[in-house]
Amino acid sequence: MICLLQLKQHANDPAVLCCRAEAGITIEPANLEDPAIFDELVDSGLLNLDGCLKIGQVLGAKLTKTSDSLSPLTADNMEGYKDSVEEEAPAEEAPVEEYPAAAPVAVAAPVAAAATVAGGVLKIHIGEGKDIDLSIPVGALGGGAEVVEVAPAATAAAPAAAPTAEEVAKEGKVIRSLTRQHYAITEVKRGPETKIEGTVLTIREGIEQEVIDADALIKDFHIEIITPAQYHTYSETIMDVQPIATKDGDSKLGQGITRVIDGAVMVLSGTDEGGVQIGEFGSSEGYLDENIMWGRPGCPEKGEILIKGNIVVQAKTNMERRGPMTAHTVFDIVTQEIREALKKVEDDLIVDTETFEQVRHPGQKKVVIVKEIMGQGAMHDNFILPVEPVGVLGSRANVDLGNLPVCVSPLEVLDGCIHAITCIGPASKEMSRHYWREPLVLGALHDPEIDLCGVIFVGSPQINAEKFYVSERLGQTVEMMDVDGAFITTEGFGNNHIDFASHHEQIGMRGIPVVGLSFCANQGALVVGNKYMTAMVDNNKSEGGIENEILANNTLCPEEAVRALAMLKARMAGEEVKPAEKKWNPNVKSNNVEAIEEATGTKMELVENEQALPLSQKRIDKGYN
Amino acid sequence: MEKVQLLLRQHVGAPCAPCVAVGDKVKKGTLIATPTGLGANIFSSVYGEVSEILEDRIIIKADAEQPDEFVPIDVPEDASKLDMIKAAGIVGMGGAGFPTGIKLNIDLSTTEMAELREDINPELPKDFKLEHSYILINNSECEPGLAHNIAQTVAETDKVVRGVKYCMEITKADKAIFAIKKKNKEAVLALMDALKDEPDITLHLLPDIYPMGEERAVVRECLGVNLDTTQLPSAARSVVLNLETVAKIAEAIEEKKPCITKNVTVRGNIKGGSDAHVFMNVPVGISVGELIEMAGGLDKEDSVGEIIMGGAFTGRAAELDEPTTKTTGAILTTYRMPDLTGKKVGLLVCACGGNEGRMRVIAEKMHGEVVSVCRCKQAIENKPGAPLKCLRPGNCPGQVKNNMQFKKDGCEYIIIGNCSDCSNTVMASAPQMGLKVFHQTDHVMRAVGHAQYRQLTVSKWVNQDINVAD
Amino acid sequence: MENTRIKYGDRLIYMEGVCVDIDDCSISVDLKGRLGFFKAPKRMFVCDVEPKVGQEFGWMMSFPEQISPEINSKYVSNIEKERAKQKEMQARLNNKED
Repeated sequence: MICLLQLKQHANDPAVLCCRAEAGITIEPANLEDPAIFDELVDSGLLNLDGCLKIGQVLGAKLTKTSDSLSPLTADNMEGYKDSVEEEAPAEEAPVEEYPAAAPVAVAAPVAAAATVAGGVLKIHIGEGKDIDLSIPVGALGGGAEVVEVAPAATAAAPAAAPTAEEVAKEGKVIRSLTRQHYAITEVKRGPETKIEGTVLTIREGIEQEVIDADALIKDFHIEIITPAQYHTYSETIMDVQPIATKDGDSKLGQGITRVIDGAVMVLSGTDEGGVQIGEFGSSEGYLDENIMWGRPGCPEKGEILIKGNIVVQAKTNMERRGPMTAHTVFDIVTQEIREALKKVEDDLIVDTETFEQVRHPGQKKVVIVKEIMGQGAMHDNFILPVEPVGVLGSRANVDLGNLPVCVSPLEVLDGCIHAITCIGPASKEMSRHYWREPLVLGALHDPEIDLCGVIFVGSPQINAEKFYVSERLGQTVEMMDVDGAFITTEGFGNNHIDFASHHEQIGMRGIPVVGLSFCANQGALVVGNKYMTAMVDNNKSEGGIENEILANNTLCPEEAVRALAMLKARMAGEEVKPAEKKWNPNVKSNNVEAIEEATGTKMELVENEQALPLSQKRIDKGYN
Repeated sequence: MEKVQLLLRQHVGAPCAPCVAVGDKVKKGTLIATPTGLGANIFSSVYGEVSEILEDRIIIKADAEQPDEFVPIDVPEDASKLDMIKAAGIVGMGGAGFPTGIKLNIDLSTTEMAELREDINPELPKDFKLEHSYILINNSECEPGLAHNIAQTVAETDKVVRGVKYCMEITKADKAIFAIKKKNKEAVLALMDALKDEPDITLHLLPDIYPMGEERAVVRECLGVNLDTTQLPSAARSVVLNLETVAKIAEAIEEKKPCITKNVTVRGNIKGGSDAHVFMNVPVGISVGELIEMAGGLDKEDSVGEIIMGGAFTGRAAELDEPTTKTTGAILTTYRMPDLTGKKVGLLVCACGGNEGRMRVIAEKMHGEVVSVCRCKQAIENKPGAPLKCLRPGNCPGQVKNNMQFKKDGCEYIIIGNCSDCSNTVMASAPQMGLKVFHQTDHVMRAVGHAQYRQLTVSKWVNQDINVAD
Repeated sequence: MENTRIKYGDRLIYMEGVCVDIDDCSISVDLKGRLGFFKAPKRMFVCDVEPKVGQEFGWMMSFPEQISPEINSKYVSNIEKERAKQKEMQARLNNKED
């Protein structure tokens, strides 16, 4: 039987008799089985839901045939049922976990009414034109309803935004700040000297040979400058997308001033001498316009010029650690030369300035973001904390650090402290540029209702013994922080989900609410689970729930950050997150989004997926080629 | 019969205190122990001599001669009927053992209808009120294989009806309803005949499924009101009494007879077959073994399984030298139980059958290794440690989830104690999931020649006309 | 698994294989019973200890089914380009070695 409290949430679930019911009875909740267990029953062949009516349709209707337990109610054995279920506003619903943990799913008590997101919306607008829009619900813990507009992007001279933002800032304690000075580039060309003149970037001719000569492993190197008109260009697998940025003067990474180029990004691709892609398998080689999910935090934006370096490494080293590591290292020679040129540019070329303040909110719930990064070896690695944003010099490889937790400030993340070598499946890879615009870090940083204390990077080693070694250290690290809540994100899928689960356990067992973010859907179904994995946000955006080889398609986007923030706030406020359905169901995400929209009165613009990319046939019609 | 052992606690409440000494001569009806708190008087059920007084019982050596005369209860001339019931030491004879004098100390005419829980009464209007107040006679003889209630209904119809009228008078109930299973046609007809001039006393016919005699099940069947597990029948302006209790009430009032005898069904692995042996007016306190001997003795002694005191669902294993009490309704003897040779077993515990302890005893006797214990989701523990009560007795809430748990826990067998409806539900998924099902009553049902509790084939609803077949 | 693109996705078969090669990012496995070979990224293997050549692995798998008779020209084009390029680069590599 279903208890009355659950009825509303189950109105759209299939109606199945929980026990024998005789012809002529009126269907009541007591006659119906709890839909939570149906997936398993269907899986084991005990239940067939074909033609099954919904609970909202059959209540009060009459059963026409005596039927036994687990009989679905259908048009054949019911009369007087409703044609459809009257929809209820989803606003009162608690957020629903978007992906169930694999093994023991703790059955959270149903929550009838939990206004987890209420109040206004803090809108953050970053950069100009081609940027990321974040909509973050504020007042989720009972705050006001006014809409706050914050525009930290405007100019350095106009730091003040809406007065409410000032109030917020007053409450908080500014630890440090990071200013990005933007320099627009509208043209990239080759020339005798690497320099920036106005909005034209010139890259020195012949620099290729220096790259090749830099390491014996490098057998060839070419630079291609790809303008928007040339997006339909065939490319080897994309190994990384990197912002071009440099520290100003003596500023250290994560603070002071960073100069960054707008309108152009570095893109690394490559093969070995035999023409085999550097990169794992299922790479994203192909036409750029078809294979890049433009606009993802880790991807190029439409309209940007791609400075693409294609590296050829010694035969067979594509699968060895030294191959990809060297490729990344030598490619930075080019970037570094551009950085040097950028350092010399006069301030009058600054087109935009944005300042990120690391504000602590001592009165609010303390939150840490744990980002699991790949550390199995070879290209499953990351350079951590280079001197220059997304540089190489000064950094240490995550694998060499034993994959152990490394604590960084949110501003270090946004200033490119991760140089991503990770060549996991392209759709779920977090490119270097991803960290530069990491939506969850941005969302949490700008949310005055929580006190973001920092970000922990933790690697994912190959073998389980090391995974648990690392995970236990993470647990101890988080314990010392005395946080009230934690996010755990991971990229890709596979055995990293074992650590991901273990991190949930290590943090969860210390009584700290956890919200996890990962690509799961169909293909990335979690390998293991535990009772602490009760609040999951699925990064999937692909139609079929698979690794579809579209660069960064299934990575963490602002819409995931918003959902995760709402979920963690709910959990920290003592509310339960309703358990997900056993099987991946993309509707859960839309329901959560609707609930947030309903509560905030704001439309959340969701990002596009691969369906928005041109199809092979269409490109001919469009006159490319 | 050499002796009787009269337990000092034969009822709900505290043990009574002996008021006799070793060596005292006693007669049938001699008061030997009195309540120390909630409880009821205890009388000697034989002529004889107090031979021993132990902490929990008084042992009386019985005389060879046992005349029928008894010592009437000691009450003043003008004692009220309720006082006589109290003095006679009557308790709920159906097995519950709640002191009847206390239960009947209620004015139903002024008792307000309680607020009903909405979720279990979806068909009733929110402010539903019963117009009348009721004495409900539980004559369902709910436990399978028992026959003494129905036998008494036929043999002492008039006495029973008089008992009901006394109860109506005491409680100012304006109506009374006998709840009786439709299959007992002879008893139904006897009652109908006895009640033809009693417009306020009616019959409600019950289907032959388990449980029907649970107090709140009787209320629901007769009045259509679902009480929750904490509510007493008074919440539905009624008092529920077992049939035998009603007869005892008539005896106490009319004959001043104390409660010293009990009607018992003995059945199962007994020489001469599995038919029920009904013994009326058995002295309280004789041993289980003596009752079995009276019935003919155990049949195949080397293949005896359990000897159960009480019904197959709610009874417990007993020893041959254990004494019977005012609430002992049955002695059921069984054949040996199946041997599960250490296989993994799950227990589905519910309010209708044995408690977890009883289920574990059964599993142990079957040599099963208990690896999983689930509870029917309707089985509610009102207070920690209190006996489970079913929220909607006889109406299943669904059992698949438990089966899934058993499967996950690696069970090969499950032992269930569920009612007819829930057992049917368990069977709807367990076999398909590869779980082999035993019912805790299986060995009893085999011994008494009753169908095992598995699939449900009869309707929960019966036509209230005894002459219309369902 | 409910999957509308394939019909027999739920027919899971237990498979075993032997690890025949390990590099920094992948593990190669010969399927027992001459049922083929596969190479997959390390992150798709669950290992309690350091994976080594000669270790046996077990997993569940099903049958690859054609999703549709249609040929995706994008992939054909990619494959052709890959092959041509690899042929050319291989030739260059061989020449260099000579």
